[in-house]
Amino acid sequence: MTQARMISDEDFRKFREFFYRKTGMLFEDSKRYFVDKRLLERMDATDSESFRAYFTMVRFQASGEELQTLINAMTVNETYFFREEYQFRCLVDSMLEEIVTHTRQQRALRIWSVPSSSGEEPYGIAIYLLEHWPRLDDWDIEIVSSDIDTEILNQARRGRYTHRSIQNLPPSLLAKYFRRDGDHYLIDQELREAVDFTRVNVSDAADMRRHRHFDIIFCRNLLIYFDDLSRKQTAESFYDALNPGGFICLGHSESMSRISSLFRVRKFPEAIVYQKPWEAR
Amino acid sequence: MALKKPAPTAPSSDDERRLARDLPGLLSALAAADPLARRWAARDLAAHPNASRALVDRLRIETEPSVSQVILTTLTRLGDEIAVAGLTECLRSEDAMLRNAAIEAMKQLPDEVAPVMEQLLKDDDPDVRIFAVDVLESLRHPRVEEWLIRVIAEDPHVNVCATAVDLLGEVGSERAVPTLHALKARFVDEPYIQFAADLALKRIAQG
Amino acid sequence: MKRILVIDDAATVRLYHRSILEELGFEVSEAVNGLEALERVAEGDFDLYLVDINMPKLDGYGFLRELRGKDMPQAPAIMVSTEAGANDQKLAFLSGANLYIVKPVRPERLASHVLTLLGMTSNGRGAPS
Ligand SMILES: C[S@@+](CC[C@H](N)C(=O)[O-])C[C@H]1O[C@@H](n2cnc3c(N)ncnc32)[C@H](O)[C@@H]1O
Repeated sequence: MTQARMISDEDFRKFREFFYRKTGMLFEDSKRYFVDKRLLERMDATDSESFRAYFTMVRFQASGEELQTLINAMTVNETYFFREEYQFRCLVDSMLEEIVTHTRQQRALRIWSVPSSSGEEPYGIAIYLLEHWPRLDDWDIEIVSSDIDTEILNQARRGRYTHRSIQNLPPSLLAKYFRRDGDHYLIDQELREAVDFTRVNVSDAADMRRHRHFDIIFCRNLLIYFDDLSRKQTAESFYDALNPGGFICLGHSESMSRISSLFRVRKFPEAIVYQKPWEAR
Repeated sequence: MALKKPAPTAPSSDDERRLARDLPGLLSALAAADPLARRWAARDLAAHPNASRALVDRLRIETEPSVSQVILTTLTRLGDEIAVAGLTECLRSEDAMLRNAAIEAMKQLPDEVAPVMEQLLKDDDPDVRIFAVDVLESLRHPRVEEWLIRVIAEDPHVNVCATAVDLLGEVGSERAVPTLHALKARFVDEPYIQFAADLALKRIAQG
Repeated sequence: MKRILVIDDAATVRLYHRSILEELGFEVSEAVNGLEALERVAEGDFDLYLVDINMPKLDGYGFLRELRGKDMPQAPAIMVSTEAGANDQKLAFLSGANLYIVKPVRPERLASHVLTLLGMTSNGRGAPS
């Protein structure tokens, strides 16, 4: 028998600060139960004697493996196909149109879905473009899909979804782009191959530097987990990940006007989005 | 033309991290002609505890607002004495954007700002005192109420007091009640002070 | 009903201005900084703006400059400042303010400025429509 393991108030505070510094995610006191439960599970799984022993491993393990597993356990991955569909309408009817009009040289247009969670968002964007953007005949589009959670990224690569995920999809699109697989729906091979999946921590400068030259970023329902400073820092990194004139779409409860002044508010008929000025340097 | 798979984005290597974050390299990049290079340098300097001085110096002469923003974010992350002194200096800047951004940054640094707060609240310039009260807004610090009470008891400038009453409505307790009444008596002809003090008193009474 | 946007980062100030303006029969919306104000403007038209100077993210000058650069019908703006400095005043007009007033704001003064700028009588007759 191992002795009962506990997480003291002091442990919780230390862990919260560390995790916040690493990921930008800030756990309020009200999340104490959620955090403790996952920490205790991981301490069990790793046979750690005490919180202290476990915490030391998380911080100093050379491979970073346990930190990653812990991150995977702490993330909230809730998402579904065609969530906030009006933004996709805005993408094809307004944002891409403006970018195409300003772009003289023929080049691939780049879209970044971050965080993508299990892939419903980037695949949904791909389907929407195929269905609703006639200029796809003239332009190449690249979609990059990123998340901090390696387990959820693997799930995204597999492209296998439950009924809950696809509820919002019109049946015609479900029939066209998915195949039944028992209780699940498997997305087309072609779509899976069209999306590039990468592991990204938006709070890590080196990760962010590798992701550049995007025309549109979807960053929905991530910043709600951050504090003000991490939100601002992330918005500033996105600024440099975008081409001039590039757009950011946030979740419906998130607003750039309380985060950073680097972007312009753009009102389109379908949605309000944020733009890096065309003249930005 | 169609959906096209992007060239794979390689994961960041440890080597790259080290190279990019080498201090002398970053410090010279902070003066680069390209604002993008300056923003990246300012961002990466968050990993260097000794970078505050160079960042504060750059902030004084930086003309590109997007770079100033990143520098302020990094200074907030670093949050040491030099960073706080640099932010405090910005409160006197002619540049309203910089001033307001510095206030925002200072709000995130309660423990670090606390030692200079008393001094700021006694500054000769009423504008600086107003900014100092603004900083108190989201400063989670045990002495905030005490400072605010002293401001409304002693500060001669009506707008400094007005800013402080706004906050007392949010953070004030029973302790503030007598001073709020005294303030109302002191500025009996100022409708705004009457309005804000009454509101604060009401909120305090409701607990 | 005429619509007024009150832009100030202090909640009490917004409440104060709201109470004065609603008393006069106006519909009042609020924004906590210049950027949020631009979002409000994107969502609908206003007949007048009451703008604080010092605010986070985007200050009053910045808001007015952006607003005045927009291709849309322009409504009058009153800049509300804590300082009577000549420099602030000049900057406010250069940014596109129609009027510059100094805090603390007196209800009857604000009322008469607003009614005048909106071309309504300020003598108590003719209720705003
Ligand atoms: C609620 S999901 C949002 C998914 C999708 N964008 C949507 O709106 O439906 C939040 C995702 O954020 C990811 N996440 C949390 N912190 C992150 C970080 N620092 N960097 C990148 N992704 C992060 C989590 O792994 C999780 O999958």
